[in-house]
Amino acid sequence: MKSEIESLLKETRAFMCLDCGKCTGACPLARQGGTYSPRMHIARMVYGYGSEVFADMDMWSCLTCGLCETNCPSNVKYTDFMSKVRVFSAGERRGGFCAHAGITHTLARMMANDGENQSRLGWVNDELKTAESGDVLYFVGCLPYFDNIFDYIKIEGTGIAKNSVELLNKLGVTPVVMKNEVCCGHDLLWSGDRDNFQKLVKKNVEAIAKTGARTIVTSCAECLRTLKVDYPQFAKFNFEVKHISEFVAEKLDGSSMKMSQFDGSITYQDPCRLGRHLKVYEPPREVLKKIPGVKLVEMRSNKDNSICCGTTHFLNCDRVSEGIRKERFSEALDTGAKTLVTACPKCQIHLKCSQSNRMQDEGVESLHITDFATMVNKHLVRN
Amino acid sequence: MADSVLVIGGGIAGIQAALNLADKGIHTYIVEKLPTIGGHMALLDKTFPTNDCSICILAPKLAECSNHDLIDILAYSEVLSVEGKEGAFKVKIKRKARYIDEEKCTGCEDCARSCPIKVSNEYNLGLNMRKAIYIPFPQSVPRIATIDASVCMHFTKGKCGVCKIKCGAGAVDYDQEDEIVELEVGSIIAASGFEVFDPKEMTEYGYGVYKDVVTSMEFERILCASGPTAGRITRPSDGKTPDRIVFVQCVGSRDPKHGRPYCSSVCCMHATKEAMLVREHDEHVETCILYTDLRAAGKGFFEYAERGKKDYGIKYIRAKPGRIVRDESSGELEVWYEDTATLKVSRMKAGMVVLATALVPSRSTAKLAETLGVELDEYGFFRSPDPLLRPVDTTRPGVFATGYCESPKDIPESVAQAGAAALRASRVVAGVTA
Repeated sequence: MKSEIESLLKETRAFMCLDCGKCTGACPLARQGGTYSPRMHIARMVYGYGSEVFADMDMWSCLTCGLCETNCPSNVKYTDFMSKVRVFSAGERRGGFCAHAGITHTLARMMANDGENQSRLGWVNDELKTAESGDVLYFVGCLPYFDNIFDYIKIEGTGIAKNSVELLNKLGVTPVVMKNEVCCGHDLLWSGDRDNFQKLVKKNVEAIAKTGARTIVTSCAECLRTLKVDYPQFAKFNFEVKHISEFVAEKLDGSSMKMSQFDGSITYQDPCRLGRHLKVYEPPREVLKKIPGVKLVEMRSNKDNSICCGTTHFLNCDRVSEGIRKERFSEALDTGAKTLVTACPKCQIHLKCSQSNRMQDEGVESLHITDFATMVNKHLVRN
Repeated sequence: MADSVLVIGGGIAGIQAALNLADKGIHTYIVEKLPTIGGHMALLDKTFPTNDCSICILAPKLAECSNHDLIDILAYSEVLSVEGKEGAFKVKIKRKARYIDEEKCTGCEDCARSCPIKVSNEYNLGLNMRKAIYIPFPQSVPRIATIDASVCMHFTKGKCGVCKIKCGAGAVDYDQEDEIVELEVGSIIAASGFEVFDPKEMTEYGYGVYKDVVTSMEFERILCASGPTAGRITRPSDGKTPDRIVFVQCVGSRDPKHGRPYCSSVCCMHATKEAMLVREHDEHVETCILYTDLRAAGKGFFEYAERGKKDYGIKYIRAKPGRIVRDESSGELEVWYEDTATLKVSRMKAGMVVLATALVPSRSTAKLAETLGVELDEYGFFRSPDPLLRPVDTTRPGVFATGYCESPKDIPESVAQAGAAALRASRVVAGVTA
């Protein structure tokens, strides 16, 4: 254990911490009050109080949004640190409190362990062109499940998948969609369940390889990060992975395709995985700005300083999470925009869930929250 | 064997090196790329740890250089090439055209008063405007006007000519051209100084977005009687006096992420001094310094910081803010930080925020090193083959480095080191090797 902790400290550069506290001063959780402090987690670990960190329930609240890491002058990889510490902690049979009765994590574990057979592709209608093999694969993620779980908050769910496929069709691409796709494993990986995560990786990589695809497109920022950054560490993985915003931006660059009119201002929520984790800030903005009449207004905190949607991996969603969303919503309302576009279904779930909360300010409920793929597909004119 | 020495850079280190040499009877040239010598010290309001007026200490030295029989100042000039070896360097220097006859100009500034073109004033770090024909600051040496041809209407549009009409001495000469001068010198001292890191890329601090977030050099000008606000503490956004000024330390320094793990070495004291001056100017303005480690290691420095706490009421908090945003309704800045002593995360309201930005080797240093044929270290400072026993030597015999371009240091250290560089250069000129 001692040597494992030592290598953790080295790999994540925790030894380089200056103890300056810039991380905590930026942390959206810490700023809501309470005792959360990324700096203290690092300090306790470095000074040999690792067991305290493993037992700290606060640790499961970390959004792994990467704001501390972006701020850190010493390049301490706090998100990486958190991901690994949670493995130790989960090994001691600890864990965070999973919202929605734990269904999202349960489903992921079922998929990892040959649970019920899935009927994944019920949403693919006759108007959508899809294939079983080909160059480009659209990785759907958990959208079909979200349809059922989050019906009551009216999320776009498989609507995002439909719009993504239609969007790809318009761009002349017939994407592969897999009936045996399983969850990418993002939530399990970040909650310390490496065993089940690896099972999911194996299943997906085998399935993707059979389709002959070279490029994987996702509409979910979490799937994107997991496939692009984490999969190669657990499996032989040589596919190109792109977020749909990057894919569309490349295709539209220099193309003569037209977009239909939208009148009004919109604001854009940077998903942490797409933004700070993978530094994709401009492609979604470029595409959205191509829609005639769109006025893209930035929130006070944007791009690398963007504030998270308040919950990650469905863990420890509580009043602090709601406080973060309250802050984010107030920034969105300040822009005067009536529409908020995000590029991650999870952002949409967490924000929409919070919209009806009574602690939110007036005006939040009428904010139209929509996905990047939905917004762009609605306005891209078929050639 | 050439018996002159060339000093490159006219800041305090270069000036002191030149004076030391000239006082020993060695003829010295000072080459300065700007129209006046003086460097950053001329821009400071006061100096630590004595709170003496900076220009009052510096101006006599500038005048001494100007009047010394053995010192030739080549201001507004650049080193083009260096050939030869220790004891016999041949140096080509470009004297940029000022479009002013240096012999005739009296420094009366009639020209500047009538010039219709206003541009950002780099001597006040862009906080106010200067004219296209200008003398940088009242104590400039040489006190000769310079026409900035990149903005002057005569050069950009082919019209105007007011300065020529107004000049009673007939010194304006639009036809002047750059001149190449060749010098033979025995030794060269590089004293190219520093510049301030631009904190725009650290978006979490809002510099460049919020007008009231300024760098410590900019704030020094705001404090200074000859600065853009004539020494009144007013914030750039609306001219109001702020209720509280927050100083943020280590902005871009001690920061491996931005390629500068080193400590800039002057900022803890610099911030303390500025906070003291704020209190002297207006005791109603609160000052707070958010520091990483209070590095007050020089002679009398710790006592200076203690005085700041006790006599001036400066609040020191061990913290580094992670987020600075502006509350648009009140116009106040909100500084979010974790007090690392109490573990409490707080939001502090501030009328102004002063960023102690990293000091980095000046932009021209890399090119200068190439011209001189010497090595720089990984952060762009001059490399010594033996940092312990020959700290002012460079990797080329006969070429020495002093001041901030050698390593981070404050004024007293620069002055001391200038003496060392002068001594090393004088040995070369005297024919003593190794």
